[in-house]
Amino acid sequence: MPNDLTTFSRRRLLAGTAAAAAAFGGFPAIVRAQAREIVVGGAANFAPWMNGTVAQAFEAKHKAKIVYEGSRSLVNLEKMQKNKDKPYLSVVMMDDPVMILAVKEGLIEPLTPATVSNLAKLRPGTVHMDGMWANYLQPWQGIAYNTKALAGGFPAWADMYDPKFKGRLVIPSLQNTEGLANLVMAAAIETGKPIEQAQFEIDAGFKKIKTLKPNILTICTQIPQAMNLLEQGEAWAIPSLFSSVVIPREKEAPIKMSAPKEGIFVGPAGVCLVKGGPNKELALALIDMLLSAELQDKLQPETFAFPSNTAAKPPVGLAADVKVHNLDWAFVAKERGEWVKRWDRDMAM
Amino acid sequence: MKPAAAPSPWRDPVVLLAVPALLYLVLLYALPLLWLLAKSFVGADGLTLRPYVDFFADPFNWRVVWNTLGIALWVTLVCLVIGYPAAFALARAGAALQIAMLVAIILPLSVGVVVKSFAWQIVLRRDGVISQFLVGIGLWDEPQRLLFTETGLVLGAANIFLPFMILPIYSVVKLIDPRLLEAGATLGAAPLYRFVKIMLPLTLPGVVSGIAFVFSMSVSMYVIPSLLIGDRFQTLSTLTGRSFLFMRNEQLGSTTAVILLALAIGVVVGSSWLARRLGSSA
Repeated sequence: MPNDLTTFSRRRLLAGTAAAAAAFGGFPAIVRAQAREIVVGGAANFAPWMNGTVAQAFEAKHKAKIVYEGSRSLVNLEKMQKNKDKPYLSVVMMDDPVMILAVKEGLIEPLTPATVSNLAKLRPGTVHMDGMWANYLQPWQGIAYNTKALAGGFPAWADMYDPKFKGRLVIPSLQNTEGLANLVMAAAIETGKPIEQAQFEIDAGFKKIKTLKPNILTICTQIPQAMNLLEQGEAWAIPSLFSSVVIPREKEAPIKMSAPKEGIFVGPAGVCLVKGGPNKELALALIDMLLSAELQDKLQPETFAFPSNTAAKPPVGLAADVKVHNLDWAFVAKERGEWVKRWDRDMAM
Repeated sequence: MKPAAAPSPWRDPVVLLAVPALLYLVLLYALPLLWLLAKSFVGADGLTLRPYVDFFADPFNWRVVWNTLGIALWVTLVCLVIGYPAAFALARAGAALQIAMLVAIILPLSVGVVVKSFAWQIVLRRDGVISQFLVGIGLWDEPQRLLFTETGLVLGAANIFLPFMILPIYSVVKLIDPRLLEAGATLGAAPLYRFVKIMLPLTLPGVVSGIAFVFSMSVSMYVIPSLLIGDRFQTLSTLTGRSFLFMRNEQLGSTTAVILLALAIGVVVGSSWLARRLGSSA
C-alpha cells in the first residue's frame, strides 16, 4: 500500500505550492484591508515631521496610520491625474499654484467647517477657492543677513536699496517661489500702497527693482549656493528667503533671519482632500489635525513655519503683531511666465 | 586583362563592428534630435518657421546668442593659449614626469563640474586667492571680486575644459619627429620660421580637434554659468533649460536648442575647413 504521506505527485505539489502562495501573498492584503490607514502625498522634505510628530499624533488619536509619499508638488499633481478614476491618495499637500491646477482638473473636493472644524479658526487669506484647500504651516519669508557684516540687523525691506549694499545682495530668481516677494515689495515701495494692493501693480515693481541692480551680487536659482555666499560673508544679505532654510543654520553660521518692519510673506503651503480618495473620514480628520492650533504649536520647533490657526503661537523670534502678507497665487500663476521674460531683460547684467 | 576591382568597403565585415555604436547613437542621439527639430518646426497649423522668426525678432535674444558665442570663443581661446604649450611640455617630458602630468590633467576630470564650480567661487570671491594676489603685487588697489563676472566665468570654464584642448594636441605632437625641427635648423630656418612652417601645420589637426571639443562644450554649458555668473547672464543653454523646465514651452526650448546646435556645428565645421586651408597653404 502506498504511503500517502511520502508520495508526491506533480499535481499535488503544484496545488500545494499555489495554496501556500495564496496564503502568504494574500495575508498582507487582508491585514491592509483591515488596517486603518491613508496615503498622503507631500513634499519630500516634510517626511521627517510627517512620519514623526504628525504620524504619532494621528495614530494616537485615530488609531490609524499615515503612509507618506514625499516628492514634489507637480509630481503629486501627476499622481492625482493618473489615478483620477481610482484615487489612492487621500490627502495631498502642495503649493497653492499647483492647487489651482488641481481644482481646474476636478481632482480635489471642498472642505467645509462642518467636516473640518478648524477651518473656521484660520487666518484670513488662508482658505482658498471656497474651501478647496487651506494653508496649514507656512514657512515665512524675511531677510537673511550675515551677522558679522551687519551687526545692526536688517530692519526694513526698503533698506536693500541703500547704496551701502553695493554688490552685496543675493536675490532669488523670479523662477523660484522665494523671488516673488522682492518684486511685490518693490511695487509697494514704488506705489506707496499696501502690499495686498501693490501686488497687482507689477509694472511699478519692475521700475523699482531695476534700481537695485548695483547692489546685486547675483540672482540665483540655487538656494544652497546663495546660503553658501551668505555664510562666507561674500553676500551680506538675501532678501526673501524662507525661514525653514535659514533658521536651522543660525546656530552653525553667522547668519540670522530678520522679520522686517513692513512685514513678512508666508509660503503657499496648502493641504487638500482628494476627490473620491479612500477613507474620507480619516482624510478629513488628518486635515483638521494639521489645521489645529495644538499640532501647529507642536510642529513649530521642527518646521520654523508660521501657523495658519489664529489660536496657535507665533514662531519664536517673531513679534505677536508681525504683519503677515499672503500673495494672490492665482494672479501669480496667470502672469508669472511673462514676468520671468521681463525679469530676464530688465535684470540682465 | 583588367585589374581586379577594389572590394567595396561596405562588404568588409569589419564594418559590422560599428553597428552597436551606430544603434546607440541612432536611439539615444539621432531620434531625440529629430524629435527636437520637429517640435521647433511644427505649430498648431502644421509646418512653420514662426518660432524662429519670433526668436530673431527679439533684440534680447540676439544678446543671448552673442553672450553664448562670446563666452565660448573666449573659453576656447584661453584653453588654446594655455593648452598648446602645455601639450608640447607633456609630449616632450620624461616618462615619470609625463605620467605625473597626465594624472594631473586627467584626474580633475573625475571631479564633478558642480564641485569645481563651487571651488572656483572660493577662488574668485573678493577675499579669494586671485584678488589677494593682484592686490599683493600692486595691480589692484583694493580687493575686488571676479565671481559673477564674465571674466570669472571664462576662467572657471577654461579650467574645467582645459584637458579637452591639451589631450588632442598632445596626441598629435607626440607623433611628430623632433628631427624635423633640427633639419629645419640645419637648413638655416629661424626658430619662429620653423614653428610657423613646420610645427604649426603638423599640429593643426590636434588644434582643430581641441577647438571642436572645447567650443562645443563651452557653447552648451549649463551648470557652470548657472553657478559662476547666475541668472543675470542668459545663454542659449540656460534659456533652453528654462523653457523646458520652468516655462514648459517645448517649442521655444526646441527652437533655442536647434539654434545652439546650428551654431556649434557651424563653428566646428568652419574651423576644420579653415585648418585644412591653412594646412594646405603652409
